[in-house]
Amino acid sequence: MLDFVRLQQQLRGFAAYQQQQRDLLQEKLQAALDAWQQVGDVEALLEEVERARPSWLVARPLGERLQERVRVPSRPAQVTVVAADGSQIFPDRHVEPPCFLLNVGRVAFQLGTHEPVRLESIPRFCFRQEEVQALLDDRLESISLEIVSALRDEFELEALLELARAARRAERPLVALLDGTLIRWMIRRLHQRELEEQFICRYVALLEQFRRERIPVASYISMPGGAEVVNLLRVARGECTPEPPSLSLDGLADRLLFSRLLRSGERSGLFLSGSHIQRAYAEPHRIVCTYLAVPGPYGQAEIARIEFPHWVAEEDGWVDLVCAVLLKECEKGNGYPMVLAEAHEQAVIRAPEREAFYELIGRQLWRSGMPVGQSRKQVSKRRPVL
Amino acid sequence: MPIGEVIESSTRQFAAEVYRDQVPPAFGSWVQVVQPDGRTIYGLVSHVEMGSVEPGRRPMALGRSPDELRREMPQVLELIRTTFRAQVLAYEDTDGRIHQTLPPYPAGIHAFVEACPPEIVQRLGRPYDFLRTLVQSPDAAVPVDDLLVAVLRQIYTGHGDPEREQALIEAGRVLSRLLRDDHERLQAILRRVV
Repeated sequence: MLDFVRLQQQLRGFAAYQQQQRDLLQEKLQAALDAWQQVGDVEALLEEVERARPSWLVARPLGERLQERVRVPSRPAQVTVVAADGSQIFPDRHVEPPCFLLNVGRVAFQLGTHEPVRLESIPRFCFRQEEVQALLDDRLESISLEIVSALRDEFELEALLELARAARRAERPLVALLDGTLIRWMIRRLHQRELEEQFICRYVALLEQFRRERIPVASYISMPGGAEVVNLLRVARGECTPEPPSLSLDGLADRLLFSRLLRSGERSGLFLSGSHIQRAYAEPHRIVCTYLAVPGPYGQAEIARIEFPHWVAEEDGWVDLVCAVLLKECEKGNGYPMVLAEAHEQAVIRAPEREAFYELIGRQLWRSGMPVGQSRKQVSKRRPVL
Repeated sequence: MPIGEVIESSTRQFAAEVYRDQVPPAFGSWVQVVQPDGRTIYGLVSHVEMGSVEPGRRPMALGRSPDELRREMPQVLELIRTTFRAQVLAYEDTDGRIHQTLPPYPAGIHAFVEACPPEIVQRLGRPYDFLRTLVQSPDAAVPVDDLLVAVLRQIYTGHGDPEREQALIEAGRVLSRLLRDDHERLQAILRRVV
């Protein structure tokens, strides 16, 4: 229940505050654009980063020129595109015994052909004491949301690899896509060193499979929030020096910068992510990104961040292929890649399905003569009485 | 060869989803469901519909040719399904006798639905009691006269040459009585049969 009368008082200041923030952001954006134009020698700038050791994450340009802009070529007429997305039913603290569900939606399109499309979702029900026990958070004595998310990410990549193998056709280019980031920084929130290492190790091992089988894999981030490139400009502007400029670029996202630099259908140069967890990734699998201006609704371009392992960037033509596929997909999907939207549709677990899931667990236990433990609080939340 | 599968069922009517590789049954044609107990339920297709598989997703105009859709957005065709409703009007018991009345039990959910061959009208003939059910308890969502036009046309085409005229006249007579000599309505139906 929401008390709109009380909320109204707080809403009043909202627009005025936003206006103020926007003006400040415009000022920062202008300063960032100036700094962008002035960067000449990338090597010298990287040395400066080395010296300054900023506390923020800084992207490392892979090209010789920072200002590089590439027009993405048109997509091959025929291409195989596979995509995966995941969802889950988190363990419910109010339900005994502890269990959770991962669900991966995956799709395979043979674009440009009349071959059938493959749309499917694969559930994985985790309930065994052995597998759950190893994942328990020592402090909470429960399975944390971060662990379930990490397992889901791993399951997505695994399911994607399997489908890519099955959907591959001789002589036809293949691209494997995921939604979100390939940088597993969330894993560092587990606060269980050993488990973190296992997760990273397995994730990188999956990426290695993609590399061995020569399947370019990439992920798409819509409305990215990162500022690694802006942070590079902050170093260039001397924001780490004892006498920083009065205006800091803090709070400016990379996407705002690139929305002024790229036209629809163009991408930026390549940047190696500065994320700390990257150091745990074996060298060829460090994540590289590019910013891509995709056509959105009403003819407006939107900046997306595309991520892929370093080995994809090193193969001639693969970055172009990935970007060309994504551009065309955004065109069809009204600003968001159609294949990823379909993978999401397959993955999503709707409220009635969630209810049915608990109902089925209950029935299974009941049939075997065991009651399903449910806290009274949960019962009252599910069936409020008048 | 089944053309589809029952997804909703009562003793009065059933709804079925057409398999992707099958041609949907025509409006006003006969379909049958063979039950595990040996009975066969006969239904008259009173409504055929195409729509989204998922209730939350509605088809939208995409401005692309069918060929383009198949090449670039095949899932939009994949997510469309055809369903139909059939009014149950007769059944065959385990001894092979046809009863032109409602069956004791509905068709099973997920039971296979088959299209009846055109000759079925010879078995579902005199005294045309099913026409009574059709006229007196019509499906409110279906224009019953149009359904009657389709039924009469099938009676005509489903019989061989010398009998077809006679069969049509007999069915017309039954209909005339059922419509309580509403000649204008009967005329409007017969006009559209041939």
